[in-house]
Amino acid sequence: MRSTFNWGHGLRLLAIVSLLAAAAFPIYWMLVTSLTPSADLFADTPHMLPDFSRIEVFEEVFREIPVATWLANSAIVATGTMVLSIALAILPAYTLSRFRFRGKGALGFTLFVTQMLPEAMLVVPLYAIFGQLALLDTLTGLILANTAFTVPVITWILKGAIDGVPIDVEEAARIDGCSRIDIVLSVVIPLVAPTLAAAGVIAFFHGWNEYVFAQTLVSSQSLQTASVGLAGFVGELSTPVHSVMAVGLIYTLPAVALYLVAQRYVVAGMTAGSVKG
Amino acid sequence: MNHHFRHLLSISTIVATALTASAGFSAAFAQSKETLTFAGVTFSEAGRGDRLKAWVEKFNKSQDKIEVQPVALPFATLANTVFTQMGGGGGPDLVRFDQIDFHAAVAANRILPFDGEIDEGEYKFTAPDKYMHVGGKRYGIAFEISNYVLLYNKTLLKGGKPPATFDEFLTAAKAATGNGIYGYAYRATMAERPGFWQDLCNFVYGFGGRWSDDAGNLTINSPKVVEGVAAYKKVYDLGVIPKGTDASTYRRMFWENKLAMEIDNGGVAGIFHQQAPDLPFAAAPSPFPTPAQGLILAPLTVNANTKHKDAAFTFVKWALQPENQKDLQDLLGASNVATAVERSPEIVAKQPWLTAYDAQTPNSVPQLVAGFEIKTPEIQQVILEQVLKVLQGGADPQKAMDDAQKMVQSRVLRK
Repeated sequence: MRSTFNWGHGLRLLAIVSLLAAAAFPIYWMLVTSLTPSADLFADTPHMLPDFSRIEVFEEVFREIPVATWLANSAIVATGTMVLSIALAILPAYTLSRFRFRGKGALGFTLFVTQMLPEAMLVVPLYAIFGQLALLDTLTGLILANTAFTVPVITWILKGAIDGVPIDVEEAARIDGCSRIDIVLSVVIPLVAPTLAAAGVIAFFHGWNEYVFAQTLVSSQSLQTASVGLAGFVGELSTPVHSVMAVGLIYTLPAVALYLVAQRYVVAGMTAGSVKG
Repeated sequence: MNHHFRHLLSISTIVATALTASAGFSAAFAQSKETLTFAGVTFSEAGRGDRLKAWVEKFNKSQDKIEVQPVALPFATLANTVFTQMGGGGGPDLVRFDQIDFHAAVAANRILPFDGEIDEGEYKFTAPDKYMHVGGKRYGIAFEISNYVLLYNKTLLKGGKPPATFDEFLTAAKAATGNGIYGYAYRATMAERPGFWQDLCNFVYGFGGRWSDDAGNLTINSPKVVEGVAAYKKVYDLGVIPKGTDASTYRRMFWENKLAMEIDNGGVAGIFHQQAPDLPFAAAPSPFPTPAQGLILAPLTVNANTKHKDAAFTFVKWALQPENQKDLQDLLGASNVATAVERSPEIVAKQPWLTAYDAQTPNSVPQLVAGFEIKTPEIQQVILEQVLKVLQGGADPQKAMDDAQKMVQSRVLRK
């Protein structure tokens, strides 16, 4: 009797499971650490399984630390960055894709150049400008600062996707009486929707994770984002490991949930325009 | 489909506008009081942070027209964040700096001199107050003064007694190590540069070394400094330290009875006392040939960019009042404050380890290169790089310190 087991398939499966386990282990370890009693954190043999009898740790951090406020602020900044970035990137992306004009190459290159400057270098002038515009210590300021960083990237991502939309489709719409702006809104955007979703996720994650601007431009505790709040646990004299891990886990979950919801579009968007013809 | 996406875009635009508008207005609510910000790392510490916020709140309750808002910044990024904000023309009105950053702030004119703002004769300042004057001007008051002594776990040391000499210390650390317990811990990585420097200073000072002499000459390669570095290496190679462990973690290990000894400042002892009341710890002079040890001196300063100068100095004067100084000293643990505050016999009876810290005060030396205070961060970098070569690369301590001396002369002082 011949074996029906496919060794190649089995090895591939094993490799995938191993990679998944390696990727997921840090999250799992955060859970285990947050639920391990303090005295056991430094035991010779580390606990490998979470102790769910200590699940109240998660309730405690919400009760004793303004985690909900941090998450709400992060959500406002991330969502604002995402929406504003997409709104501001669509027209430049369409322009770079569809129009011919003097300096087009230079404009595209300049957009890339903005990505070469680190946040730490720009934060001092940005702080001075925001001070003049009364944008310091506001979430609006953070949204604008983050958007300035994400718009160039998103413009290029969307340009790539718009390049893949056949020009014939637009010409047909124009014959039907559509104006240029109607074509962008009613024809182009729906056709690049998966890429739009991918770009949105990138902008959201940037706003969600950003630290330097959030630390420097905002000082009120009530406006602190989760990235700054989490870093604040690392004290000069002590660090509450349980709280760090519990809040870290909570901080990770909304972003993971968003990615899971949007992943179908993201994957489609990432590959959009990769094959043109 | 088209209609759907147009609808979606409209909603997105409305949401974006609403989010940015609401976010902008949320902080700009009408405030009847003059509001100042006060940045410090202590606000984010377990135990001490909440007590310090309560102390600030006591000030707020005493005022009709001024309110101070605490701003908790992480230890590792406080100086970078505050200097960035100051460079941009803003920043917190009041800042609790570390001494090394205090000198940088003075040199860059980032903090206000206290000229005429406080009547010096009115207060009985502690000895380290002299370090608050630069170029004959006062630029701050000591917010926290903390000494270094040996903290030990009585149950983890043989006989429960602390070592008195360096040789006894090595023997005790070796004997305590094993079964998941370490004999001693200190910092020895550039990831914790400020702490690494503090720990190294304790060894060098303890062996009688100093980074410079009274005449303002560097003494980085002097025999006593080399002896201190060699002692640091001896402990590193003894197999008694949890190598690579950061200070937060090994302090927690001490708290959890997993570490027998560490040399640490009074703030740490205060945290152990407040957060782990059952921990059988005690304090003793550090086991080095001389009693000199490092000194943590954190000044309270006023930002030169402040638009609330009078209110900021109102807070400073309030902080200097005897009752408020006492409250501050009590909440900071084994630290001292700007003015001399007697500890009550009840507190000393409950916290006997306070005596060792208070007795250390005359022997505490700032962790700065005297005469080169502003250059200390750069000198620190060169010295620590050379010490790492000794610890990890097995370099000869004398040669490493000779190289450090030469490099500081040529690279930092340009001589």
